[in-house]
Amino acid sequence: MREIEDFTLIGKTILRREDSYLLRGKAQFLDDLPEPRGLIHLAFVLSPHASAEILAIDTAAARALPGVIDVLTGEDLAADVPPYAPVIELAGYRGVARPVVARGRVRHVGEYVAVILAESPYAAQDALDLVGVEYEPLPAVATIADGLAPGAPVVHEALGDNVIFRTRFATEGFEARFAAGEVVLEEEFSLGRVTGVMIEPRGCMAWPDPIATGITLWTSTQIPHIVRTAIAEHLGMAEANLRVVTPAVGGGFGTKCHLYPDEILVVALARRYGRAVKWVQDRREDLLTNVHAREHVLRLRVAVGRDGVIAAADLDVRTNCGAYPNHPFSPTLEATAAVRMMPGPYRIRAYRYEAASVLTHTAPTGAYRGTGQPSAFLAIEGMMDRIGRRLGLDPAEVRRRNVVRPEDFPYVNVVGVRYDTGSYLPSLERGLEMIGYDAFRRAQPADRLVDGRYRGIGICNYTEVSGTGAPGWRVRGFARMPGFDSSRVVVEPDGRVAVYVSQADAGQGHFTTFAQIAADRLGVAWEDVTVIEGDTAKTPYGTGTFASRGSVVGGGSVIRGSAKVGEKIRRIAGYMLGCEPSRLALGGGRVFDRDDPGRGLTLREVAETAYSMNNLPLPQGEEHGLEATDYYDPPMVTMANGTHVVEVAVDPDDGRVEILRYAVVHDCGRVINPKIVAGQVHGATVQGIGEALMEEIVYDGGGQHLNASLLDYLIPTAMDAPDLALGHIETPSIDTVAGIKGAAEGGLTGAVPAIANAVGDALAGLGVSITRVPLRPSTIVGLIAAARAARAGAA
Amino acid sequence: MKPAAFAYHRPASLEEALSLLAVHGAEARVLSGGQSLVPLMNMRILSPAVLIDINRCRELAYIRREGGMIACGALARQGEAEASGLVAATLPLLASALPHVGVRASRNFGTLCGSLAHADPLAELPSVAAALEARFVIASARGRREVGAEAFFVSALTNCIEPDEMLAEVRFPVAAAGARTAFLEVANRGHGFAVAGVAATLEVDAAGRCAGVRLAAMGAGDTTVRLAAAEALIEDEGLSAAAIAAAGEAARAAVEPTADVHASAEYRAGLIGVLVGRALRAMAAAGPR
Repeated sequence: MREIEDFTLIGKTILRREDSYLLRGKAQFLDDLPEPRGLIHLAFVLSPHASAEILAIDTAAARALPGVIDVLTGEDLAADVPPYAPVIELAGYRGVARPVVARGRVRHVGEYVAVILAESPYAAQDALDLVGVEYEPLPAVATIADGLAPGAPVVHEALGDNVIFRTRFATEGFEARFAAGEVVLEEEFSLGRVTGVMIEPRGCMAWPDPIATGITLWTSTQIPHIVRTAIAEHLGMAEANLRVVTPAVGGGFGTKCHLYPDEILVVALARRYGRAVKWVQDRREDLLTNVHAREHVLRLRVAVGRDGVIAAADLDVRTNCGAYPNHPFSPTLEATAAVRMMPGPYRIRAYRYEAASVLTHTAPTGAYRGTGQPSAFLAIEGMMDRIGRRLGLDPAEVRRRNVVRPEDFPYVNVVGVRYDTGSYLPSLERGLEMIGYDAFRRAQPADRLVDGRYRGIGICNYTEVSGTGAPGWRVRGFARMPGFDSSRVVVEPDGRVAVYVSQADAGQGHFTTFAQIAADRLGVAWEDVTVIEGDTAKTPYGTGTFASRGSVVGGGSVIRGSAKVGEKIRRIAGYMLGCEPSRLALGGGRVFDRDDPGRGLTLREVAETAYSMNNLPLPQGEEHGLEATDYYDPPMVTMANGTHVVEVAVDPDDGRVEILRYAVVHDCGRVINPKIVAGQVHGATVQGIGEALMEEIVYDGGGQHLNASLLDYLIPTAMDAPDLALGHIETPSIDTVAGIKGAAEGGLTGAVPAIANAVGDALAGLGVSITRVPLRPSTIVGLIAAARAARAGAA
Repeated sequence: MKPAAFAYHRPASLEEALSLLAVHGAEARVLSGGQSLVPLMNMRILSPAVLIDINRCRELAYIRREGGMIACGALARQGEAEASGLVAATLPLLASALPHVGVRASRNFGTLCGSLAHADPLAELPSVAAALEARFVIASARGRREVGAEAFFVSALTNCIEPDEMLAEVRFPVAAAGARTAFLEVANRGHGFAVAGVAATLEVDAAGRCAGVRLAAMGAGDTTVRLAAAEALIEDEGLSAAAIAAAGEAARAAVEPTADVHASAEYRAGLIGVLVGRALRAMAAAGPR
């Protein structure tokens, strides 16, 4: 890609155009859409058991209820809607399929057991209580340890055991390199199970076209094209007869980048009944059935020189993947992410890993902001602090000695991922400077006690995988992950611009940033660019919006598509003006001679020629219309980076962690809109605070879900958000269009380890070792009590 | 999130509300602010056949002084109490607890009586009522009766109101001139339900002796709990550091909290001890109002 320098709007803060309707409550989410006549409302009977045989389902009473159209069980649906499974081509993965509605066996609390079809959502809800299901409860496993125990109940008997995926890797001569290290440190880190809570739970509505065979599926998803391909394939429909549209989507965070059984079912039922079918999820269903994430255990062993430099690292990761593989990622996603991303910003050249995904009788896990990276960095960043404590080195200094240095770029890490550019050392130094790190360390008392509370600082250096292209997905086995995204850039007959992008906004600000990009590249007013997304009938094919790919891949495609249509504008204008197209520039809504700016045409005048609205001919061989389509497949990944440095005070009596100061330095390459990037950093950091300090989905040992409400599953609110000091470093990628890198996940990835390390630093003098999140007040008080008891016992 | 069908009545007076309760009481619920009732109905945890909406009973919308008491009618909103100069001047403990009740939006509609009648052991107002020895005025077509907090709060989410009755008013004694108060709670996050908390009030005379020591804990068990042993300790020994430490320990030993997804029972008990200590220290440090 030719280096682009002449930006006019890219890099400038423009207030989000979508806020005018989002903030005034005018957006149309799934449940706000006008309802077609004859709409069928669905409600699902959910399994109350983690593991059970379904002996009988009595639907008679529910069917008899006025307003109930039908009640269908897995048996009733078996012929129409077979089980579905992700397509994964990766050694060590053994697939199993997931039924859309359970048949014979349930494998987690909340699994769909029957579906009510009713004339109103009230009748559907009333009927739920009237469906009698007879279960034979069976032994269940909820945790990784229980799932791996000898003789454990097996979630899918066909597999023989609960390990659905296992992978191993080692660099050549690993053992010798490890043995050469002078000091060996080992620690087991773990993260509680969380979920990406969107303000809008999921929902979908399938609407058959009365005069054709087509169906429109409205669904609150991040991946409309992937959903369409999967459903059409699964139900044997012509793909052209299924149109997937996203209304306004109230947050995604990865939770909505999966295909869910209800999305398949509404389409199947719309076909069967010839009526529109709608389902809207409530919060309990959200927390019981949408993908969860994390619940990882990472055992990290490092061999280190006396200088604190890591000679070799050995990582064992286990993830709890729940009862079924999610689609399209499968349980390989978090396992491969954690082990591949652990080396992060550090020069680790001897590396061995093993990862396993363990089936349990819990809800399936899948993608959530940060995927694998908060876990990976909790381990490696926690280890950096331990190396410092063991060797008497400052933890910041340990990081300096291990980090990939500016002169190392481009750098290929130990698992073959190319880091094209980055600012790891400058980012670390900047973060330390912003927090006044050296002064803090000088002033920190030996016992770390200030006014009755323990003070500590935590650091997290992170890399952030972003903009993953086809090679990046293929290497991890994701056969149904296209990797590319696309755009169609149209100069309309009036000279204004429409940009159709293959992605689907879930609140990120695409309608602003993509307009900003097209306006910049075509030299038109930002207000004159309209962005259309989230509709498979209008936009070209693509991957969707997740994994920090929107700006890199969607933005990159808009840049390339705009350049292509810009060439056509120049060709037609050159012909009209009688000059060489190469002499022409775009700007101010005009195309003009760069040496004689007064000589030019408005875009509208060019468009009128392109659309045959005047008597002027086109150049020889030129087609009518004024548009271009671009499919952009970015490199394997582009690596963003950043540093979080946070100071906390820990109250030993009530266990509360207060965040006193928080500095974030982030580098996402070329910035399109600084305010939107800052919003991503703020939002993700606060989500990370939630994961570090409060969020956890709790199952008991028998697989009962104990906190399926937002009263009991705590997510942070504005009251928990600290003031963030943001430092920006802009190191453009040399591999992506315009040097753009992703920005959506680093905040979360940085926050979890930084906060854990800060608490660990504060409590280090007490002998407390922080190895697990979340760090709730009761957890902290318990850890302090245990450390005191251990010391008293030792004394 | 759709409630079961219910019949809806909107009486215009307390008398009319009570006569509806006399007919439908066993299957009815009174709707005032609806900040707990409506979500419970939407989740179908509650499915009352009849809803009696008292929001048109304007005669219940008051916060007023009656002699030595502040009387709050069943339609007195939490937000109104929070903004009330009368409450600020006469009920400092209630005033300091109100900002912890729900969120501003829920306080705009939620009522004092509604929160009390809901009887959530993790709610703030029951502990405030217990510490202030509030009186609960329960009305029915049969007449009125008045009970104290110990009789009113029976167990978690259960009060002593009979099916044909409703909580018409809560009466708080006006704080004594020298009263010192403290309200403290700890939650797993910056707002929302606490894990545990303490509402405290006492008076200190010129000689430094303490009287009227009342400590109530939330999150201590099935209902709000008065910490009698700790109260007696402070009345006997005053606010010395040793007495405060002993009172905290006595509070910890006296409560029998339950464990849930938010905290262990042991943590809650310890926390109540810690908060009693903090409350007493804060009151020791504060001068008389």
